[in-house]
Amino acid sequence: MSDLERRLAAYLALRVPDARSVEVSGLERIHGGASRETSRFVLRYQQDGQRIERRLILRRDPPGSLIETDRRVEFAAYRAFHGSGVPVPEALWLEEDPAPLDFPFFIMEELTDLESSIQALLSPPYLPLRAKIGQRKWTILGEIAQADPARLGLVGLMPPAALEQCWQRELTHWERVLDEDELEPQPVTRAVIRWLRRNPPPPAQKLSVVHADYRTGNFLFDAEGEIRAILDWEMAHLGDPLEDLAWGLGAVWQWSRDGLAGSLLPRAEAIRIWERASGLRAEPSALLWWELFSCVKGQGIWVSGGREFQDGVNHDPVLCMSSWMMGNSQDRAALALLGHLP
Amino acid sequence: MKPEASHALERLMQALLTEIAPSVQPAYRQASVSIQAMLLLSVREELERAAARRVEENRALRALFADAAKAVTEAPLRDHLASAAASTDASLLVSELEAGNRALRALLIELHAHVESLVGPEARRIEAAIWRELSASTERRKLSLGPC
Repeated sequence: MSDLERRLAAYLALRVPDARSVEVSGLERIHGGASRETSRFVLRYQQDGQRIERRLILRRDPPGSLIETDRRVEFAAYRAFHGSGVPVPEALWLEEDPAPLDFPFFIMEELTDLESSIQALLSPPYLPLRAKIGQRKWTILGEIAQADPARLGLVGLMPPAALEQCWQRELTHWERVLDEDELEPQPVTRAVIRWLRRNPPPPAQKLSVVHADYRTGNFLFDAEGEIRAILDWEMAHLGDPLEDLAWGLGAVWQWSRDGLAGSLLPRAEAIRIWERASGLRAEPSALLWWELFSCVKGQGIWVSGGREFQDGVNHDPVLCMSSWMMGNSQDRAALALLGHLP
Repeated sequence: MKPEASHALERLMQALLTEIAPSVQPAYRQASVSIQAMLLLSVREELERAAARRVEENRALRALFADAAKAVTEAPLRDHLASAAASTDASLLVSELEAGNRALRALLIELHAHVESLVGPEARRIEAAIWRELSASTERRKLSLGPC
């Protein structure tokens, strides 16, 4: 066992009831989520005379990341939706004390033999399943929008907002991120922010749980085209459900370059599916507002990652790559939405 | 005759992608090496145009400021625009061109916000010119690996 595996085993020996001979092995970093280091590992122990083996995921706070988020909120979101129509892995333990593993972390079950990457989606055997996966993707998002945050027990953990102030809170937050982290002037994004303030959207139709990074790449799907888990709830909050719909429709997620929303379905069809599942309406001008907001938020994420890389807080090359490539694509998406891209 | 920098970068990228990444474990590190290869491809693209796009853009911004200064009603901003329009790039070092570019783009944000507050066809004409420049500036920075 590595040092980290030993410490993880010592921690879990105190958490799993009546567990003896606790062992951790195969701890291996994997890609997943932008704000926390994600690793898989195998937990083995004796319990009631039986040898038990569980495949688990460790999500540990890193020194720097693309997004600064509250791990308690992410953990609570997984717990809230577990067992509902919105598929998520089971979240098991949350530890906010950095002592056991140097940084706060939480542990959840690993779902195996599933895919999440866009490369997989655009290759056989998944390529012909894109429409089915898209159908499920926007249906599940509609169910998230329809869910009652109070009944899910999330209102205490996620600050509520008045329906007419959801947009303002989010825009102010991401404008502040840009103010603090940008390495160079962002004239396109600044123009979009002014446009958004001059043209506020209508009040939210309801206060919903907003996943806030609901896009292709952040869910696990199987070889039958079924979505088995929605991941990366690290930015989840209460807000206008159109925020999630708009984010997922963004041009920056159209890696297939065939005009399909999220590389899965025609945009109009995705919106229709979401409206049917949520019982809400995606009024075009309100949706446009949130799509432009998504460009500000996206730029905030890319700029923050670039700052972490530049400052040497996090050397992950994906931060630099995102800052260059996605930052430019985000500007192009904004210009296209405003009709300024030839 | 010696290999060009862009050729060397391309060769490094190919080596990382096809020779080194496949033999790296675990999968997380393998993916990280692949991203570094993509980063080199983008560096190659940027290296080729680094000075040209900044010279072109700084020139375009100065021309825009010279044109817009006539319509600007606030004296400090008008003077700032006139001064920026009359400035030149001191050298072709990318770091110096970039410093000048950042100052000009910060002023562009100020000008854009001001023009939006003005009424009349002249203000709209300048605003349209600013949007054209923003579109052109985004094209100048486009990377071939981007999703859109």
